[in-house]
Amino acid sequence: MKNLRPIDLTFGAVFVCLMAIGANITAWFPILAVPIGGATVPLSLQTFFAILAGLMLGRKLGSLSIFVYLMVGLLGVPVFAQMRAGIWEFISPTGGFLISFVLVAFFVGWIAEQGKKPSIPLYTVAAVIGLIVNYVFGVTYMYIAMNNWLELPISYSIAWSGMIPFLIKDGALSIFAAIFMVQLAKRIAFRWKPAS
Amino acid sequence: MNEYMIIGQYVPGNSFVHRIDPRTKITIIFFFVIFVFFANSVGSYGILTAFALITTFITRIPLKFILKGLTPVWFLIIFTFSLHLIVTKDGTVLFNLFGWEIYSGGVIQGVAISLRFFLLILFTSLLTLTTTPIEITDAIEDMLAPLNKIKFPVHELALMMSISLRFIPTLMQETEKISKAQSSRGVDFRTGPLKERIKAVVPLLVPLFVSAFKRAEELAMAMEARGYRGGEGRTKLRLLKIQSIDIWVYLLFTCVIIGLFLLRTY
Repeated sequence: MKNLRPIDLTFGAVFVCLMAIGANITAWFPILAVPIGGATVPLSLQTFFAILAGLMLGRKLGSLSIFVYLMVGLLGVPVFAQMRAGIWEFISPTGGFLISFVLVAFFVGWIAEQGKKPSIPLYTVAAVIGLIVNYVFGVTYMYIAMNNWLELPISYSIAWSGMIPFLIKDGALSIFAAIFMVQLAKRIAFRWKPAS
Repeated sequence: MNEYMIIGQYVPGNSFVHRIDPRTKITIIFFFVIFVFFANSVGSYGILTAFALITTFITRIPLKFILKGLTPVWFLIIFTFSLHLIVTKDGTVLFNLFGWEIYSGGVIQGVAISLRFFLLILFTSLLTLTTTPIEITDAIEDMLAPLNKIKFPVHELALMMSISLRFIPTLMQETEKISKAQSSRGVDFRTGPLKERIKAVVPLLVPLFVSAFKRAEELAMAMEARGYRGGEGRTKLRLLKIQSIDIWVYLLFTCVIIGLFLLRTY
């Protein structure tokens, strides 16, 4: 994992900024909060950008980039959803989702690297697996957090049912990420290529 | 919102806490977060609360900044407190609230857990309130240095953190410009079902990606032109140094932890 070129570093850093913007997309579009089943879900593009990071930067640089995003949030720069930051975000019930983005980028990148060139079926499979990793890890972490250190005992199924509106939104967004990336790959190939 | 972004959470100052080495602060906070969960009596909570409040007082940070840091947890604190008040049925019945019997055990547990949340958020927010992001980046690079042995790119990680600190405000302004530009061209972000709204994000994302990648490419070229060749042999402008105040802080914290364990009930 040594020999990162300057362009790898700058593209990784730019993805950190994109994650920060994606997490707070409703700050620019307050009306982008989508009503699903009675509840209003603020549209956060974090999962979307984590998947894109994996698809575009590959498993190593992609997951490193998301790790940097978490570290920047730890510094107190408000990059997480709702302009939050700090160590508390990792202790809170939704901290698992943040941590899981590193794994999302890794697995998505790993699967995407199996194919020789971008294709919608391959990227869709990668994105959906990323989404599954995201939610299984995130909800399990939430369950463990609430039952152990937050002392708000809930059952595993209740933890899941609270997350279903978000799952619908992120499901749609991950398939969109796969299609978007295939289009994007055609246009940026002259700008950036992964190191062979 | 942009001014909020650039400032972050750091409040400039020259207090004792501001001058502690960032590595010391991170270490102390790490252990504080763990040891909070060991507190289980009035005395042990008392010593931790006193330690956290005195530290907060020494920083001389205006109260409004500290309260702002607490906003994300007020809801959680109140929710947990009321849940324990209603659900826990230990001890004696204190009084009857709209048909619910409130037990003394519930009050005690509710207070203890709310206090734990309060201490966690207060103490962890002190790091970002008294330390600049650049200082914490340097500290993280230094503390993760052992990972170099397993080929984890620690220097690159720190450099990526610095680059993103530089670019986050810029790209956020860019997003604002793009959204205004697209609105003036008649892109409707307001109505329609989920699919339509996701489609409306495209005219925002494409220019954002183009601009972000252009900046990344230009910066990489600039770095190469200036002879950037990785972390080996690179020197630093700001050097971190463990001073005598750091030793005192460690000693004081050790005393607090020993006190905590003496005051615990078993």
